[in-house]
Amino acid sequence: MDPIVYVSLGAALAAGLAGAASAFGVGIAGAAAAGVVAEDEKNFKNALILEGLPMTQSIYGLITLFLILMVSGILGGGFKFTADNPDNIVKSAILLGAGLTVGLTGLSAIPQGIIASAGIGAVAKNPKTFTQGIIFAAMAETMAIFGLVGALIMIVTGVGF
Amino acid sequence: METGAVSGILNTTLALIFTWVGYKTSKIIYKYTPYSYPNARIKAMESKLLTEQRFNELAESRNLQNFIVNLEDTDYRDYLAEVQEPDVESVEKALEKALAGTYELMARILPRRVSPFFRLLLEEWDVRNITSVVKAKLAGEPATDYIVEIGPMLPKVKAMAESKSMEEILVILEGTPYEEPYQRLLLGEIDVRTFETELYRMYYGKLLNYALSKKEEERTILEEFVRLRIDRMNILTVLRGKVAKLSAEEIRPMLIPGGSVKLDPLLHVEDLGMALAELDSTRYGPVIRDVREEVERDLGVLERALEGYIIERMNELNRFYPLSVATPLGYVLQKGREVKKLRAIAKLISDGLPPERIKELAGDVA
Amino acid sequence: MFRPEEMVKIEVITLNRYKDALLTYLHEKGAVEIRELDVKVAQRDSPNEYHRKAASYSITISRLVEFLAAHLRRKGGGIKEFFFPPERKKRKYRYEGIEKLIKDVEEFLSRVEPQVKAVEGKITSIQTEMERIKGEIAVLELLSGLNIDVSYLRPTDMLEIVVGTVDRNKFKPLVEEIRKATGGRVVVVSRDLKDRVLAVFVFLKRDQDRVNPILAKYSFERIEVPEGKGTPEELIKAYRSKLKEKEKELEKAKKDAEKLAERHYDDVVFYHELVENERDKATVLPMLARTNMTFALTGWLPRVRVPEILEGIKRITRGKAYINVREPTDEELEEIPIKLKNPWWAKPFEMLTEMYGVPRYDEIDPTPIITFTYSFFFGFMLTDFMYGLILAIISALLVKGHKKFNDGTYKFSYTLLVSSIFTMIMGAIFGSYFGNALDLAGFHVPRVWDTFKDALVVLQLALAIGLAHLFTGYTIGFIVKLKNGDVRGAVLDQLSWMLIILGIVAFVLGSNSPSGSMIAKALFGVGLVLFAIGEVVSNGGLAALLIISDFFGFVGSWLSYARLMALALATAGIAMVINILVQMIWGVSIGPVPIGIVIGLILFVGGQLFSVAINALGAFVHSLRLQYVEFFGTFYSGDGKPFEPFRAKREVSELEFEA
Repeated sequence: MDPIVYVSLGAALAAGLAGAASAFGVGIAGAAAAGVVAEDEKNFKNALILEGLPMTQSIYGLITLFLILMVSGILGGGFKFTADNPDNIVKSAILLGAGLTVGLTGLSAIPQGIIASAGIGAVAKNPKTFTQGIIFAAMAETMAIFGLVGALIMIVTGVGF
Repeated sequence: METGAVSGILNTTLALIFTWVGYKTSKIIYKYTPYSYPNARIKAMESKLLTEQRFNELAESRNLQNFIVNLEDTDYRDYLAEVQEPDVESVEKALEKALAGTYELMARILPRRVSPFFRLLLEEWDVRNITSVVKAKLAGEPATDYIVEIGPMLPKVKAMAESKSMEEILVILEGTPYEEPYQRLLLGEIDVRTFETELYRMYYGKLLNYALSKKEEERTILEEFVRLRIDRMNILTVLRGKVAKLSAEEIRPMLIPGGSVKLDPLLHVEDLGMALAELDSTRYGPVIRDVREEVERDLGVLERALEGYIIERMNELNRFYPLSVATPLGYVLQKGREVKKLRAIAKLISDGLPPERIKELAGDVA
Repeated sequence: MFRPEEMVKIEVITLNRYKDALLTYLHEKGAVEIRELDVKVAQRDSPNEYHRKAASYSITISRLVEFLAAHLRRKGGGIKEFFFPPERKKRKYRYEGIEKLIKDVEEFLSRVEPQVKAVEGKITSIQTEMERIKGEIAVLELLSGLNIDVSYLRPTDMLEIVVGTVDRNKFKPLVEEIRKATGGRVVVVSRDLKDRVLAVFVFLKRDQDRVNPILAKYSFERIEVPEGKGTPEELIKAYRSKLKEKEKELEKAKKDAEKLAERHYDDVVFYHELVENERDKATVLPMLARTNMTFALTGWLPRVRVPEILEGIKRITRGKAYINVREPTDEELEEIPIKLKNPWWAKPFEMLTEMYGVPRYDEIDPTPIITFTYSFFFGFMLTDFMYGLILAIISALLVKGHKKFNDGTYKFSYTLLVSSIFTMIMGAIFGSYFGNALDLAGFHVPRVWDTFKDALVVLQLALAIGLAHLFTGYTIGFIVKLKNGDVRGAVLDQLSWMLIILGIVAFVLGSNSPSGSMIAKALFGVGLVLFAIGEVVSNGGLAALLIISDFFGFVGSWLSYARLMALALATAGIAMVINILVQMIWGVSIGPVPIGIVIGLILFVGGQLFSVAINALGAFVHSLRLQYVEFFGTFYSGDGKPFEPFRAKREVSELEFEA
């Protein structure tokens, strides 16, 4: 494959997969938020914050997209790896790997949305569980964070600015 | 190795990973998303269930007017608003309608793959209403007093109660599943008690079939729920039979198949005490042990204890599967208990009992 | 600091006639947490008639409050009130016993309740009437398909006429069956609706008993025919104009309600607070023990308030009281309620500790530590000078405006203010001002590290901070356990990890010299052995499994601090994304109009504000998580019972009373 295919696929998968997962996660939690607000409007604030938690994965995806575009020169200048030599292939494959890491770990947004949904329900029943609900939901994000850290190491050490 | 082979392996791996991830993800989404809205809403509704303190305050109402006022900051308000002249009957009817409304809400907001179960649950009131009407007609009493205002067949039930002869009822029941047993009742093939059992058997059979047609945790939960209900019904039938000194052969036809407890050993014991001892080794042992003494005097205590056990069990399942059908099931049971208690309080208030006594008696109801 | 407030137990026995005054005094002071008194010989106290009345009036008045609040025309609102909410005026009330209070409330209610009820009743009745009219219009619209004068649709002396709908597929058999039953003496008019059929059946009154069951069998839904004469169309017109009239009436009634709200809203809230407090006061009665003449109460209070409360009790009971104040015994350790005690700069951070759970009486209060670590982590994750500045300005305003209430908003904005200072410092270190906006604009920004280029340095920094944080936690746990005499726990659970961490540190620092790595190995080895012994001692057979899982649990907690770097990167990343987009659009112009600058500015402001919000939320959540999960996991239980004093809630009222 051409280096450009690897690079753009990496960027697209990072932002696309993570973004889609975030959309599902926020959607699931949003349904729960609508449910509790239908019963009592004072649940709005708590539900809103919990609903926003699965959004971070899409941000990680977006950042990775931009990083990939920047180090490969697509953004600002010109594509650096046009020549079809092994070094360029390796570098672009690394970028694909980095994008894939973030994209796949970004899927944690879906379970995070499910946890947030259950958390929203629990908070509606007992408002004191708000912080616990947030912490439980934040647990699921750890994988996405590890993914971002891993991808960053790959980009910085494997390709470099 | 050649580059072609490497990228081939890579591509296959990628394809496999994506297929697997896609499959798992879509499964998770399919499983949990539909419960997100209803379960969160039900949790919010659970926080509005009346507390013990509220019941105590309600018991202090002194008259039905105050009773209604005290409920004005709850969801019963819309139903009670229709009550113009407060008397027990209309208050009770409003409360029953509120309960029916809860079931209908569940059927409406739950995912389509389980919502029919709640419509099926409502049929229990049909069964109850039909048997009460038939019993009242046979006894020559005004049947309308015995109707509870819930059930998908309510208009028919009302027409039945207003009908002038047993044959008219047959016309009304024509085409429904209840027609056949009723015909046999009219022909004298079965007595009214068997008729009642037959109706309950049909009802629980439907529930069980529905539960068994589901998959995974939905099936686990629904099946558990139905079997618990059947057990409760059967245990009470057997124990009542034992109190009335009926023989095993007389009790057996009144039992409903599908329960989880083996009832045979229970049927052949001498009296209530031994029957309770027999139950000790079943899953209901701990429940019965706690109320053993009182049960020997009053079986109503056991009925409540078993009901409480079902609720407790649903709550357990609810903690285990927060986004599942256990949440609405637990909720409708709790709501049912609440309505029962409110009805009792309303009745006692209109009978003019002092608050202390009402608190005591209402505590006994649920 | 580090220790919760010292508590003592108080026991009071005095005469019944001082009960109301004494309870009111304690309620207003809010210093004592009353506990259930278990005395076999004496009976429990119970609410009397007046307390019951308070409860029922409380519901009645809360209904009035709700109704009037819904019709109150709001003044103000807006941003100023958000930052600087006005203090509500406290109205004085002279308290002369609950009997008098109930009487006053009754007097007030008798004046106001009828007025409110009248307006409310009027509004509801107009609304029901409107609903009814709308329902009739709907029915008429349904009937308009028939185009028959509705007066013909009503039963007469001889004829029964029923109008209703039935499922389309049931209609045919229904008609046939009725024909059969009545011997053909029936007239049917019908119109098809969507999946139902609208039908009118006309038959003789004497056939009624035969027809009705059949109608019921096919679930025929009857329709009540609205009153009036003329075709449905004509009637609809009449009903519509009736509806208009009602709407006007409703408007007028709502105006009345608004007037009423303006006049009485404050009073109603005031009296609601009075009875609500009486209702609350009555909840402790079942915890008291009483005899015919005397009653007794017991509870916990902070030592610092003892002299004041003792003085008060003596004054109220004219000295006719037995009072005993004593130290808590060892058996009561679990029961002692926990009131946190911290210097002013850490006080608002108690909120964060309380959200997790307060310490046990013999545990350490971690508030001063997390005051620092929470804010620092927050700053590390946000890492932008300008974002810090925005948050600082908002939170400083909120702190100023809400300080007098000492409410949740105040506490939270105080924590935010401290955190935003760290954010600014970190932002300056990383040279981040709205991300790389200044760099893109062509300025030279001084910085120690660059978030992206030195990402690995930042990661190492994050992990080092994590190790230090964990080490602090284990050390505190070690000290607390030693103090409480649990030497074995201290050595096996805490010291082991401290040594392992020291080993890791020595390994990193001394990797060049052979002696350094020797020390590192020794420390690590001893720690590991202690840890393994600890697992075997506490878990026996399962130890082998748990050693592995717990060790990797530790590694997981440590790596979890990588989120410090990830979130710092996320902030810089989003800011960068926005900046790049703005830069791309900046030069665009249509003809002479520099449209790019306008859109660019809007995008910049909107985007950066969004970025502040979402990243501040992330920083809050993850900084808190690092405290709760990783840090507290090393030493803290949070099992204590928070101090819940018997206290009146006074927002719009103030009690004046003397005993």
